[in-house]
Amino acid sequence: MAFDTVRTNKLRSSLTILGVSVGVITVVFMVSIIQGLNKAFAAQIESLGSNTIWATKFDPSIGHQPTSEEIHRKELTLADADAIRREASSVVGVSPFYRKINETVRYGDKQSDTPILIGVTPYHEFTVSSYVDRGRFISDIDVTARTNVCVLGQDLVKALFTNNEDPLDKDVKISGHQFHVVGIMEPLGSILGQSRDNSIFIPITTFEKYYPEIEFPEIISAIIVRPIARAYVKSAIDEMTDILRKQRRVPPGEPNNFGISSQDALLDVYNQLTGSTYLVLTAISFVALMIGGIGVMNIMLVSVTERTKEIGLRKAVGATRTNILSQFLIEAVVLTAIGGLLGLMVGELASLLMNKYSPLPAYVPAWAIVVGIGISAAVGIVFRLWPAWKAARMDPIESLRWE
Amino acid sequence: MTETPIATATATSVVTKPNLVSPDGKIQVLIAMQNIWKTYDMGAEKVHALHGVSFEVHRGEYVAITGPSGSGKSTLMNLIGCLDTPSQGDYWLNGKNVSEMDDDELARIRNQEVGFVFQTFNLLARATALHNVELPLIYGGIPSAKRHEMAKQALGEVDLTDRMMHRPNELSGGQRQRVAIARALVNHPSILLADEPTGALDTATSYDIMNLFEKLHEDGNTIILVTHEHDIAARAHRVISIRDGLIEKDEQIK
Repeated sequence: MAFDTVRTNKLRSSLTILGVSVGVITVVFMVSIIQGLNKAFAAQIESLGSNTIWATKFDPSIGHQPTSEEIHRKELTLADADAIRREASSVVGVSPFYRKINETVRYGDKQSDTPILIGVTPYHEFTVSSYVDRGRFISDIDVTARTNVCVLGQDLVKALFTNNEDPLDKDVKISGHQFHVVGIMEPLGSILGQSRDNSIFIPITTFEKYYPEIEFPEIISAIIVRPIARAYVKSAIDEMTDILRKQRRVPPGEPNNFGISSQDALLDVYNQLTGSTYLVLTAISFVALMIGGIGVMNIMLVSVTERTKEIGLRKAVGATRTNILSQFLIEAVVLTAIGGLLGLMVGELASLLMNKYSPLPAYVPAWAIVVGIGISAAVGIVFRLWPAWKAARMDPIESLRWE
Repeated sequence: MTETPIATATATSVVTKPNLVSPDGKIQVLIAMQNIWKTYDMGAEKVHALHGVSFEVHRGEYVAITGPSGSGKSTLMNLIGCLDTPSQGDYWLNGKNVSEMDDDELARIRNQEVGFVFQTFNLLARATALHNVELPLIYGGIPSAKRHEMAKQALGEVDLTDRMMHRPNELSGGQRQRVAIARALVNHPSILLADEPTGALDTATSYDIMNLFEKLHEDGNTIILVTHEHDIAARAHRVISIRDGLIEKDEQIK
């Protein structure tokens, strides 16, 4: 009987179904995007190597400009790194490095202006668990002798060496200085949209030779530390803090004049970055749910008000309140169920397409389905039942005379 | 629902179940109204729509209730049809005291004992004639196959067998009212209660409908007709005139 009404009020039923679908689609799709973003970032964090810890002269944070005191702090030195390597027992790898962005690299008539130049020690490979693919990495001899050798990232190989030319044993020019290519890094992927393959590694001492002055923010120096395992991150940080305070002669009671951050801190930075994006996405879902909900509500209210006469008649021929309410409940459940399933299908499909044709690994978690369908169904059922309940309580005669 | 053959105490009087049964054991007095009051509480003042109405209707009677608007005849009709309960007094319908029933029990009585015919037909616009007639049977819990059979038979009684798959908007006013009459008859109720059944029809069609009521009466149905038109009332066998909430006249005219 309830199905009859659903079938005979085709337009109204389809509008209700549409309203519910829109709500479910939005929630499912938006959540799948957010989940995709999270998953993508988690994967990138993992690719950084297992749980590395960074020591810098001040804490990096988004939306916070470093103070001039922070900028003028003493740089971290090779001696600091040696001290950590010597004294910290929770640590298996220590890699001090300099980094300069937007370095100019030339090979023949090819030039790239975007690479990141990194001055490293041989410890770097193991510490960040990214290794040379062909040739060799920077060696101790390179560091001691300040040789002009370099290891290229995959992006640079592609940018500078066209026609399948082998870069090994070729000479490239970095800011006009000639360097011999001794190795090529394995592909490293990207983090936060920035390619990690767009790097050139040279000996840390050679870097110091050409860039004796640190010019923030173009050039920074830092020490990456690899703890024994994830469980040792905290003790490694404590040990590093003690060692660096001693090295940098921080009096007891004074705050650190350096910053230490782990991947957890990187996650914080990421959360700062994406928090607002999530907020917008959530707001959009909410608005869409509201619009869908208000639509459903309207249709339900109108249809029940219109059907007050019908309710009166049904009561006159013997329907009880329970009969009336269950009829409307079944109608509401049928409509919201169809709408919910439809919305779920479209949302899933959109998410699958997104997954396939965009770099985002979008996916729909079960709770999003529950939330989407739950909210839409609640709106549909409540706003169907509430006016029906009112109408069912009316005197049959009163509702029969309803115009 | 339990019958109470013993006296029931109420706030104002002690009412005894009237003698409704004929010597052969069959209930003959279908409707027994005993000192019925209906009072509407309109905030500050109380409006008495009925001031102690008493009458009986026997099985097989054809009664018209007339009166000007505001006389209380609609209130009386609602009470007879169990759409409402009296403020005071007892109403026995087919041996059951319905004056103290709750909503669900009243719904059941309406379903089993009363067949309604309304001035504006009140058919479900999007359902076929057959489905409209089946409606009371649905709430009566009759299985679908039996329902179909009973509805078809009722439509046959009003000569609409060939129109049963039509929707109300494909039927004339007279045909619509006949569908409504079939719906009222389908459950074999004790009384057929018609509220201005010809109010929305032209004269010729009204005449047809009144002929149909006459035929249904001859078939043994008990009919109560509420109308303010004298010529319609004159078709009945007994006329009860209501004025100012009281029975003004109650006369057997045939």
